[in-house]
Amino acid sequence: MTATPLGRPVGVLLVDDHPVWRDGVRADLEAGGGVRVVGEAGSADEAVAVAVRERPDVVLLDLHLPGVPGVAVIRRLAERLPSARVLVLSASAEEADVLDAVKAGAAGYLLKSATGAEVVAAVAQVAGGDAVFSPSLAALVLGEFRRVAAGAGDGQALTPREQEVLRLVARGYTYREIADRLTLSVRTVQNHVQHILDKLQVRGRYELMRYAIRRGLDQEPG
Amino acid sequence: MTAGVTARQGGGEAARASAGLALGVLVLRWAGLAWMALLVVIGADTFRRPGLAQAALAGTAVWTALLTARHGRMTRPALAADLLVAAGLVLLVGPVTGPVAAGGPVFTTIYPLAAVLSWGAGGGFRAGLAAGAALGAALVAGVLWGGSPAGGRYVLGLAGDVGNFLLAGGATGLVGRLLDRSAAEVRAAQAAEVRAREQAARLAEREALARDLHDSVLQALALVHKRGRELAAGDAVPAAAVARLADLARAQERAVRSLLLAPAAPAAPGLASLPEALERAAGVVDGAVEVSVVAAGVPPLPAAVVTAVGAAVEQALANVERHAGARRAWVFAEADGGEVVVHVRDDGAGFAYEPAALAASGKIGLLRSMRGRIEELGGTMTVDSAPGRGTEIAFRVPAAAG
Repeated sequence: MTATPLGRPVGVLLVDDHPVWRDGVRADLEAGGGVRVVGEAGSADEAVAVAVRERPDVVLLDLHLPGVPGVAVIRRLAERLPSARVLVLSASAEEADVLDAVKAGAAGYLLKSATGAEVVAAVAQVAGGDAVFSPSLAALVLGEFRRVAAGAGDGQALTPREQEVLRLVARGYTYREIADRLTLSVRTVQNHVQHILDKLQVRGRYELMRYAIRRGLDQEPG
Repeated sequence: MTAGVTARQGGGEAARASAGLALGVLVLRWAGLAWMALLVVIGADTFRRPGLAQAALAGTAVWTALLTARHGRMTRPALAADLLVAAGLVLLVGPVTGPVAAGGPVFTTIYPLAAVLSWGAGGGFRAGLAAGAALGAALVAGVLWGGSPAGGRYVLGLAGDVGNFLLAGGATGLVGRLLDRSAAEVRAAQAAEVRAREQAARLAEREALARDLHDSVLQALALVHKRGRELAAGDAVPAAAVARLADLARAQERAVRSLLLAPAAPAAPGLASLPEALERAAGVVDGAVEVSVVAAGVPPLPAAVVTAVGAAVEQALANVERHAGARRAWVFAEADGGEVVVHVRDDGAGFAYEPAALAASGKIGLLRSMRGRIEELGGTMTVDSAPGRGTEIAFRVPAAAG
């Protein structure tokens, strides 16, 4: 658990509007020694300000901040501090929220019911540049790609191998276990997951662009 | 000329009323046409130009047939064309008959009136008056063209005809407006009623939600709060008591999540939600084993499929709880082509899956029962397990079964 992919403690910014929750997560994170909590924030504006000041490696973000949609926070963070990786921790598994968050650039998603050890492991994974797919996220992503598979004009469908990896993640297998089952290296499994995430984010940008264009056309006077 | 002509959007009432009006005008057209035909045939020898009268009659007949094919529906171009036809007809009065005998029958009969009525009905008071005035002017022009003698009695008759046009247009316009207004009022009343009903439904929903939350979540939270304080105040913290609190919180978390994720619209009759059934199945063993339930794009399925698969998964999870010594279990459902696949996996002890040996040790019962449920739906069940590696059971069922 104390593996530090960066060769130093991973700097984490905790963003959640519940101080009690932040305290609990902070205790979990700092217990292992591989993580240093460099700041806390209770709102979207504070999150961006602290992130710019403290330059965390990982932002642990609650999707449901008062006032601002979590997706907007992710986009703002990506703009102001692209080096920070965002790991979403949320109490709800509202499908649209979760998918939007990942499309907007989050590197992973965990339910708040995840154990302390799981959160610590996920932070290390994200800091090391890997995506964190919980079973619920894997299932959502599978469903999302299936839903739009027919009309996927952007050439970003999942390969059969990527679908296989996602199915195994949805069934609770770790990357290590998936690697064993498919006789691949763990690195290869992680690459597959990263490609899935990339495709999802390409799709997210594409949708955002289409949305912006549509909005722009709609708002044209006349 | 087209001032006040507005294309009308009928709600139910307005559409029905204007359709009735259109039909009435259509009847008037045919009556006018028949009368016109009679006059053209009978009066052929009194006309200056019988051929022109016959041509006008033929044109009018074609136009009437055309409007009848459209069920009398008047669009703006149709209204404009109609007024042109009518104006043309009354203009021809002079050339066809020559000097008109005051008070004598006019060969166009009441047909041109139909255009005025249509304008009034379609565009309201001002459009009706405008159409009436246009036809009146055309009539005066037509009569003068025929070389009618001026004379007090004669002018009076002509003025009466023009007045009739104006009166017809104005009156239909007024009636049309009234019909429209009352239709709009009916629509507004209906909308208000729908709004009120929606609000009542929202309130009821909110109350039901509040009741649910109060019955379960608030009670549990209060208990967690109270027990938490008690435990914190005590010297030694019994692990079992803390675990019970965690279980309680976990169960409520699941309850609230399923409340939040409940579909906005209930599934169609005969269909049911498999993910919901799986959540319920997971709730049965929750606490002892932590169960993750996820689904990828599973649409509502026949209730029989959902019930049987839900029951099989519940049995599988009960088995995990009883025998596997597992800490966690994962349930994953997906719809793939015409098939529904559900995996139930645990991180427990696993076992050597040898049906013969299991039967000998009496452990086959549950597996056979699960298999029975699934095979009844035309599905299959496979078991993947080995000592030390956990167990994974896969159910495959045709989605249309049941």
